[in-house]
Formats: sequence, C-alpha cells, structure tokens
Amino acid sequence: MNEHYAFLKMTAGVLCTVGLYSVLYRENKFYRFFEHVFLGLAAGYAIVALWSENLKEGWYDLLVGSAGTNGHSGPYGHYLYVLLLPIGLMGYFVFSKKHSWMSRVPIGIVLGLWSGQQVQVWWTRYGPQIQDSIKPLLPTVWSPAMKPDTTGMTPALADAVSKNVYLSQAITNVIFVITLLAVLSYFLFSFEVKSKAIRGFSTLGRYLLMIGFGAIFGSTVMMRFALLIDRMYYVWIEWLMNHVIARKF
Amino acid sequence: MNFSYPSGSSTLYLALAVTVIFGFLIMFGMMSMPARWRRPVVVTCTFISGLIYVAYYLWPKPQSFGPRDIPLNWSEWVGSQLADTIGVAGTISTALTTFLLGLGIYSLVRIHGRKLIRMQKDWAFSLVLLISMLAIVIFGYWSYYQTKFGPDASKLQDAANWTWVNYTNDFLFDGLLQQMEGAMFSVIAFYILSAAYRAFRIRSVEATILLASALIMMLSLMGAVEFLWNSKFDHSGAFVANFQLTEIARWIRDTFQTPGIRALEFGIGLGALAMGLRLWLSLEKGGVSA
Amino acid sequence: MDTPQDPTPISAEEVQLLEVKRIEKQAHRTRMILFGLLILASSLPLFLTLNVPNKPTQATVDLYSTIMAVPDGSTILLQTDWTTSTRGESGGEFEGLMRVLMRKNCKVALYSMSDAQAPKVAMDEIVLTLNPERKLKGEREYKAWDDYISLGFFPNAEGETASMAANLRSAWNGKKYINDSGEPEDVFQSPVLSKVQSITSVPLVVIITATSSFNVLIERLSGKVPIVALVTGVMGPETNVYYSSKQIQGLATGMKGVYDLETMMEDGINSPGPNGKVGFQWENHPPVKGFPGETNYGRGKLYFPTLHIDMALLILAVIFGNVGMFMAKKRGNR
Repeated sequence: MNEHYAFLKMTAGVLCTVGLYSVLYRENKFYRFFEHVFLGLAAGYAIVALWSENLKEGWYDLLVGSAGTNGHSGPYGHYLYVLLLPIGLMGYFVFSKKHSWMSRVPIGIVLGLWSGQQVQVWWTRYGPQIQDSIKPLLPTVWSPAMKPDTTGMTPALADAVSKNVYLSQAITNVIFVITLLAVLSYFLFSFEVKSKAIRGFSTLGRYLLMIGFGAIFGSTVMMRFALLIDRMYYVWIEWLMNHVIARKF
Repeated sequence: MNFSYPSGSSTLYLALAVTVIFGFLIMFGMMSMPARWRRPVVVTCTFISGLIYVAYYLWPKPQSFGPRDIPLNWSEWVGSQLADTIGVAGTISTALTTFLLGLGIYSLVRIHGRKLIRMQKDWAFSLVLLISMLAIVIFGYWSYYQTKFGPDASKLQDAANWTWVNYTNDFLFDGLLQQMEGAMFSVIAFYILSAAYRAFRIRSVEATILLASALIMMLSLMGAVEFLWNSKFDHSGAFVANFQLTEIARWIRDTFQTPGIRALEFGIGLGALAMGLRLWLSLEKGGVSA
Repeated sequence: MDTPQDPTPISAEEVQLLEVKRIEKQAHRTRMILFGLLILASSLPLFLTLNVPNKPTQATVDLYSTIMAVPDGSTILLQTDWTTSTRGESGGEFEGLMRVLMRKNCKVALYSMSDAQAPKVAMDEIVLTLNPERKLKGEREYKAWDDYISLGFFPNAEGETASMAANLRSAWNGKKYINDSGEPEDVFQSPVLSKVQSITSVPLVVIITATSSFNVLIERLSGKVPIVALVTGVMGPETNVYYSSKQIQGLATGMKGVYDLETMMEDGINSPGPNGKVGFQWENHPPVKGFPGETNYGRGKLYFPTLHIDMALLILAVIFGNVGMFMAKKRGNR
C-alpha cells in the first residue's frame, strides 16, 4: 500500500480520535461533528453490509440460483423465496397509522422462529449447568481435611485420591449451593413474602450477588483500560513514532 | 409441483414474476382485510414459524441423513423433511431480520432528513451525517461491485492494484469508521475512573462487599502483584499455598461468582422460556398479536 | 461627596447558585486531573520495555491444550465477532490464535454473527499483520480460498446457528467466495470446506467475541462440537459459567487471557525449551509444546504492563475517594 496514503489514513484516524476525546473536556461542536460523521459512516456501512454480506448470498442467490463454475452445475433458483420481499416490506408499515398492524406479520414470524427454538436451547444452555450445580455436600474422607499433593503418586493412586471429596471441598460445595439458592431466591421471590426465613435468605442472596458483581466490575475495568491503551498505542507509537518521527511519509 | 428451476431459465423468471405479483396482491389484500381477521393472521404466522423448530426438536431424528440416504419409513421421512426445513427457516429468519434492520436506518434518515429540510437546530450536523452515510454507501457498493463482479475483480484482491474507489472506501471504513469506533469505546475508561473516584464509596454492606471483591479480582489480574504475593506463600502442596492470590481469586470466582451469575441467568432463562412460550402461543397481552 | 452605596443584597438563591457553580468547577478540575493522569498512565509505559511475570490460569491452559490437540491441517470454524473497537483484547486474541493455527497449517472458515464489519476486520488482520510477519520469517503466507475463507455476516444468529447445527451444508448453501482464479465459487469447493460434511466433522469451533454472541453459539452447538472461547474482559464472568460446567473446553478472558496465551505459545506447558528447562509448569498436565523462538508475544506483552499502571491508578482513586469521604464525614460530625 502506498506509504503516503497509509500516513494520510493514520493521520485522519488520529484526528478523529482527538476529536472524539475532546468531549472529555466539555461537549463542543468539534466533538459533535465527529460524532455525526461516525454515526453516518456506521449507518452507511450497515446499508452496504446488509446487501453485500447477507441478502445477496443469503437470499438473492438462492432465489435466482447461479450458473455453474469449473464444470460443476450451479444451484437452481427457488422462486418461492421471493415471497420474503413483500413480507419483509410489510415491516415498513409500522410508519403507517392505518396499516401498522401488518408490520406484525414479519415481526411475528421472526419472533415465532426465535420462540420455537427456546424449547431446546433452554435445556442445552442450562441443563449442564444444573447438573454441575448438584455437588456433593458431605465429605467422603474426613482426614486429611484437604486434598493431598498427588505429585509422585502412580496414576491409579492419583486418580483414586482425586475422586475423594475432602472436607475443604465439601465446605466449598456447601457455600456454592447456598450462594446459588440464595441468589435464585432473591430473583424468584421478587414479590412480597411473609416468611422471615425466605426474606433473610433473599437478603443473603443479595449480599452474595455483590461478590459476583465485584468480580464483573474488575473484569470490565480491565477491558475498558485495554481499549484505551490500544488507542494510545495507535496514536503515540503507530502514528507518532512509526510514521511522523521515523519520517516514513 | 416444482419449487425450483435452472438458473437463468425463462421458467424461473416467469415463476418469479408470478410469485412476486401474487405476494404483493396478498399484501394489498391484507390492507383491505377486516379488522377481525388481523389477529388470526398474525397468530397463525407466529405459531407456524415456531412449530417448525418445536416439531424438529421433538420429532425423532432419522438414523442417517446424508444426501443419498432414503428414509426407512414415514416417520424418518417426516424427520428428514423437518431437518431440511430448518435450513429454509434459517434463510427466512435471516432475510426477514435483514429487511427489518432497514427500519432503523430508514428512521435515522427520516429524522435527520426532516431536520435538514426544515433547517431546525443543528441541521448542519444532520447534513454531515447524511453526507457521510451517502459517501460510504456509494463507495462501499462501488468498491464491492469492482472487487466481486468487475472485470478486474481478481486483480483487485491485491491492495497494490486498487483503484481510487477502493482507496476511498478503505479510507472511509478503516481510516475513519474503525478508528472512531475504537475511540468511542475507549472513552468509557475515563468515565470509569471518574466514577470510581467520586461514586465508589463504602456507604453500605453491599458496597463494601462489592468493593472488596472488585479489589481482589483486579489485583489478581495484575501479574506483578500476583507474583509478589504468591512468592510469600509459595510452598507447593502445603496448606499455606492456598493463600496465594491466584488461589484466593480462583476460589472467589468458582465459589461465589459462578453460582451467583448462574442463578442470575437461571432467573433470566426461566423468564425467557416463559416469554418464548407465550409469544409462540400468542398469549402475551402486549405482544405481536395484540 | 457621595456616600458609597450599600452593596446590592444577594438572595439566598443566588448564594446557592454560586455555591453549586463553585462545586461544579471543582469537580470539573478534579475530573480533568484524573483524565490527564489516566492518559499519562496509559501512554508513558508504552515507550518502555517492561517485563511482567505471568502465570496462566486453568481456563487458558485448557484453551491452549484444546487448540494444540486439533490435528494439523484440519478445518476450524471461527466465529469472529470483534472489530477495531476492541482491538486491544480481541485483536490480541485473534493474532495469538491465528499464529498457532497457522503453525499447525489449520484451515479457517470465518464468519460473524454480531457485526457486519467483523469479517473484513479479521481478514485485514491476516493480510496486513500476520502474513507480513510470516513472510519476514520465510514462512508460507496464508492464502484466501486455499487456507481461509470468509462466509460473511449473518444478522440472525439464532436461525443461522440452528441451521448450522442441523445441516451445515444446507445452512451455507449458495455461499460464494472468490477462488484462486478470481471467480466467485461455492465455498464448499474450497479446500477449506470441501471435506466438511456437517458440524460434527469439524474438530473445533472457536469464538472470539466482545458481545454475548457466545450464548447463541453454546445454546445450539454445545455437545455437538468442541468449543473454545476468547472473550473480552466484560464477558469473562458470564463465559466462565459455561467453562465451569464444561460446556466449553477452554476460555481466555481479556488482556490477561491474551498474555496467558502468548506465554504458553512461548513456553508450552510442562515442555522443556531449547535450554532444557521447563518455562511453564502446570500440575498433572501432559506436556504440550510451545513455539520457542518464533513470534509469540504481541499485544499481550505490549499492553499488560501498562494495564498494571492503569489499574493501580484506579485502585488509588477508589482509596482516595473513600478517604476523602471519611474525612468529610469527620469534619461534618465536628
């Protein structure tokens, strides 16, 4: 790729970055300009991608088929797919006061297809998790309290040692199950409950959920900072050091 | 009855023309449909769509389902037809979803177009938005046509042979759009820091627990801290090794975080399953069939 | 001589307004200082070469082992749902993964279910970053059509993934890609997919994502084909739930995951290096080789030290914020 073009492209990217970062000082016209450019480009690209990445091959080519290549016969055209055009266009009747009900036909089909899948996907997603949540709550071995180091043991012995449930593991499992049930009760009993025991259990669930949220916060922070570091790398190293200062233009 | 014809054949074009006219006639007919028929139409479409997947999952699968396999009996025949229908259902949902995505874009163009035409406040920014959109649409399609169907399509796969159209498209996409997207996402990091300083306060039991858990998790993600901490408790196999930062973080993650999020998702999943069934059977009061 | 006039009395409302403005100005000043510190913390370490020790987690060990267990030359399905906006983490994960797959001569069929830009971003990464790297080392560059193809973007993830699970050939029926003669051809004629009959004939499905698109994948493909996930930090806790119930066979989360992967690419697992020493040990794990001496480190090693500084800044901000709160409370009580 042309080096002058590469430098021009990078400089434009840096200018856009600085323009968008200007909102950190205060909302300004410079930022709003770049914000609108971004929105326009994103929407425009979506228009291009809808046809080029999807409708063309996912619908149009199935509709009209294609000629064969390299000695292979091409697929036939399935003309019934053309019915998707009027059905899809019905979605735009949402802007009509009189005929807005027709937009529910394509939406209903899409939602119907989604709903029909929920029957099986629910079990595929949660079945293994339910199974994994059923853990042994009592130890099979009381002493030692913790699993011994298996280094140096024969594989058969190491396997036998690993299969035991030690006291420490049993305690962990009890905490696991209590956390699971407490958080579940916090969500399921969102209505008023008279039982003090359930209310207390739900409150415990709320506290235990905070531990999970804290961990989520830590991971989120890592991600957001990583994005910022990558932007700084782009500006300072890729553009300034590798292009401007290294005089690669 | 044939549902497919050779590509480019006159039969196919005739079938397409007849079908599309039929489809639009149905659509215009629906515009004059009595109000009492509207709900049954929507309910039927929703139910049949969902039935495809439900039937596929509940019906016994054929023992073997290769291109040359013949069904053993009517049950296998139904199973193989249902498996074939899943592909069609996928195409239908993909195509309809794509058409419906255009709604958002149409809405955006309508709002900003109106602003521009009526010269309302900040109309200049709306003009900028529409120009950017138009630019990438024009150059996006132009470049797409050149690289996929144009006479030099194979040569243009190599960036060294690009035309000014390809360069412009690349500039708009990679030079502007991608970099701005990165900048937009990274701005949040500043607000996280600001919020951490101003709002992350130990004011309640919940906040304290959250803060403590977040601190331990963040420290465990810092390799240098992890190394220093672990070295103080580095006796493999000994009880004290359980107090290494990696072990503490792992224990918190496996004993508290995992069941907490799992229970959260169970709750959401139960709601989604109930919602899915209600939508499929059109039992939802404010749903599509309302 | 005129007597000086009494100053115009300020109303209580105006006093309150002035106070609010003063507080806002102070908050703005504090914010600017914090932002400035963050920019410095995120930028200065990038100019230095810092090495930070790292120990991979169980999840990334499993991820690396699973990828290395894939037979050389086989076809992997890669759901790439990331764009430049998450290049810091997802880009690093993609580069690490592709380096390993390229060294194993694995073919890759990539597609996206959540972002129209994603397939192009992934292919640009191969063409502009990974291929030049291989060319410099005298290795074979990866060719589109022969070694990798893009199936594009599917906006309806649920329907498409369900179709893939039921009948992969039917799901991608009619999909075309530019072959080595420059003509669009059916993707199943490509060396990448010619031997793939169904989802079960694929040894591994990998997802690199910054969104919750892994939910849809796991709901429909889990149990049919081994799946590993490389996700951004924010998706880590949610994906870990799947890993802990063995619905996915390996997981890399965020910047730490990238660095873990790079560490294992360099040192292997329980595998002696060229100097005979084992760089990374993991209890009771069969040896898995690394690629010592090759280009293994990338964004993980580059960004990880800087991440430390940023997170330390955040922790200090939280501490100072709370200290300030307690001091203000004390002053208020007095």
